[in-house]
Amino acid sequence: MIILKYLLLIFVMATAYLAITFEEELISIIFLSIFSIILTTLYLIHNAPDVALAEAVIGAGLNTAIFMTVISQVREGKDSIFREDD
Amino acid sequence: MSKTKHIFAVLILSLLGITLLVSLSKLPNQFEYANSIYHHVVNNSITETGSLNFVTAILYDYRAYDSLGESTIIFGAVSGIVLLLSRKTLPVSSHGLSFIVKRTFGMLTPFIFLFGIYIITHGHLSPGGGFQGGVILGAISIIFSIVYGSEFDYKRYSPTTKTLLETSGALLFIGLGFMGILLGGNFLMNLNILNAEVGSLLSAGSIPFINIGIGFKIGAGLAIIFYSMIQKTFKEEVDL
Repeated sequence: MIILKYLLLIFVMATAYLAITFEEELISIIFLSIFSIILTTLYLIHNAPDVALAEAVIGAGLNTAIFMTVISQVREGKDSIFREDD
Repeated sequence: MSKTKHIFAVLILSLLGITLLVSLSKLPNQFEYANSIYHHVVNNSITETGSLNFVTAILYDYRAYDSLGESTIIFGAVSGIVLLLSRKTLPVSSHGLSFIVKRTFGMLTPFIFLFGIYIITHGHLSPGGGFQGGVILGAISIIFSIVYGSEFDYKRYSPTTKTLLETSGALLFIGLGFMGILLGGNFLMNLNILNAEVGSLLSAGSIPFINIGIGFKIGAGLAIIFYSMIQKTFKEEVDL
């Protein structure tokens, strides 16, 4: 169990590092999602199922959806919502 | 990023790290909590609130006022995002994803809804509660928008319904708080409406009602946020 814990901690650090280093935003978002899922497992191991549930639902689910939406809106370029009224 | 900026960032981060380490070392030892409130909660929580889940007992009974503040923060975030993003109320939509995805999610979505309702109503018995279940309910609106197109989301689950659900959830929470004052106690005291034996569904006083109120409030609020972000995304594909 303790080996699994340290392995997961190493994976958390690795995914966090990868999420901030990639130039491509989409890959960063996916790594952030993986980061949240590993963090959920860590919370479960440390007997905090309430926080684990919140992290799984908000971190892995909602954050990914909202970031994807923002990316798709920013990449639209000329159809972006911030330039429409110009 | 230039080199001076790098040095500045490293300096700021190391200062922050030193501050956090110093304040962490000032925290009391975990064994010094022997006579503190933590023992009171662990020993008396079940008899005082009837909730098996201590986290829910703290969040919606002992510290329900804090939860009210958190819901107010969510309300402020929703109001700000809607104010900034929704200049047009008409839905513009994509046609959604392919037929296979639509059928699959048609079968899955009722169970996701059921799971959200289960997390909310069993908040005092099992892990979870209003916030987590509410986010699951809000995810259903996201599934509608992405898989079926935001036109479908607008028709089946209109912004008016979302606003109504969010407002009624908040009113249920605050109403329960004022009921406490009317019945001669404190704001947000446990009203003991449901007093079956501990461990059954209809127990834990007013905690399930607060859970339901917060669940609908958070779910509808997140759905409003996502809807106001997505409603103009698929503009070029419209030929309805």
